Amino acid sequence: MATDSQAVNLTVLTGGRPSRDDLYAALGLEPRASRDEVERAYRFCLELYGEGSVATYSLLEPTEAEQLRLRVREAYEVLTDEDRRRAYDESRGFLPPDSPVLPFRPPSAAAPVGELPEVLTGADLRKMREARGMSLRHIATVTKIGLRYLEYVEEDRFAFLPPPVYLRGFLQEYARLVGIDPRRAADAYMKRLPARG
Amino acid sequence: MALSVSEVLPVAAPRTRRQIWSIGGGKGGIGKSLLAASVAWQLARMGRRVVLVDADLGGANLHTCLGLPTPPRTLADFIQRRVSSIEEVLTDTPAPGLRLISGAGDLLSAANIKHLQKVRVMNHVRAIDVDVVLIDLGAGTSYNILDFFLLSDVSILAVVPEPTSIENGYRFIKSALYLLLRAAAPTESVKELVEAALDPKNPQGIKTPVDLLARVEAEDAEAARVLRREVAAFQPRFVVNEVRDVADVGIGHQLVAACGRHLGLRASYAGFVHHDDAVWQAVRRRRLFMADAPTSRAAEEIRQLTRGLVKGESLGHGY
Repeated sequence: MATDSQAVNLTVLTGGRPSRDDLYAALGLEPRASRDEVERAYRFCLELYGEGSVATYSLLEPTEAEQLRLRVREAYEVLTDEDRRRAYDESRGFLPPDSPVLPFRPPSAAAPVGELPEVLTGADLRKMREARGMSLRHIATVTKIGLRYLEYVEEDRFAFLPPPVYLRGFLQEYARLVGIDPRRAADAYMKRLPARG
Repeated sequence: MALSVSEVLPVAAPRTRRQIWSIGGGKGGIGKSLLAASVAWQLARMGRRVVLVDADLGGANLHTCLGLPTPPRTLADFIQRRVSSIEEVLTDTPAPGLRLISGAGDLLSAANIKHLQKVRVMNHVRAIDVDVVLIDLGAGTSYNILDFFLLSDVSILAVVPEPTSIENGYRFIKSALYLLLRAAAPTESVKELVEAALDPKNPQGIKTPVDLLARVEAEDAEAARVLRREVAAFQPRFVVNEVRDVADVGIGHQLVAACGRHLGLRASYAGFVHHDDAVWQAVRRRRLFMADAPTSRAAEEIRQLTRGLVKGESLGHGY
């Protein structure tokens, strides 16, 4: 790959395993990431490698940071252009983001994604998530919502949840990843919130 | 000072699951002691039996954070054998379930305790019958401090959103990791590579643990596998203290990402605590804000942080 031959060292050794050096990895994403995720990851990486970034200035040489910024921009440009992304995915053997395969489709044993019930509990959400084989950590990583908040959501620990305006956003992001209707899922969950005093 | 073998060898394994937590951060003045005191306080509130150890030898002030006068007996008395057991230097605090081992004392050289003394302290601390021993490591990246950090079940790295603190935080993590790898190096030549990496100006051009592992891999694939396992088990948890806005809160996520991408480390973000006037107002009254201002934002954030750290324990260093 022409683009990858200039790849800078973005090796992520999570768990001690060398990982990929593709454009998704440059943004810290998995292949098949949604457009939304690409946008968010791009903004995150711009901050991470920005000039004067507190988190990386003492870790990276200015030239390294500059290379990384270029790589991040390249990834963003390719992955947000439908045609270029499709071509890139094909060349790397990645499935396109709208392919009707994993991980949004529940395994055959799981309930179909049909109608959502009127009221959703944290346990309901967890079941749906688990049926899709998705870890809470994955949702936290993709959405940048604190893992702890997601746990509170699934455990119905209302007292620790953020104010409704934020909670609604969290729920919608969660639902989107799990593959259920975001707005209806948020409504169904929030019906059970006690009135805040 | 000669130590007998029985004092240096590990004490019988604890019957209950006892955890050692430590809070380090490299830099002084970032609120580590208050963080340690308040997390310990909250753990006790959650029903854990907790001993807080002030290992900031030479700069000990945890007793003041907890609103106590200088304790009559301190770690120095134990190190200098003026008392026979570590239980004798435990001080009760106003919080039920929370006791303190103060680091204050007259030991001029206390900050440089010898390795065997450290092992003795660690073994006796481990043997105290409690649920959590929480060690405030104080500032710096000396071997003593890093060793305590590495020996912990939960290793908390405190930073504030300032370049100096974060630079020291990375240095702390890198040094700790290299020490860990040096101890785990299966062969002499791998050990030499790790030692080279400890010098930032090493001729091999090894700048990060990622570079180091690549070098080891090229030389000895089996050794690289051993070291990778150590790296994977080392999971420092960041706490960002004194945050003032959303961007500050986001720094924790960036630190975790930077550690993963550029140090090859699986760090995590345990939580953040806002800068809060209630905290220093309580400090002036020589009271802990958890008790003095329990409804403050900082107190609520400490409660969330502590609950998160407790829940993470099954993910932690359990093999």
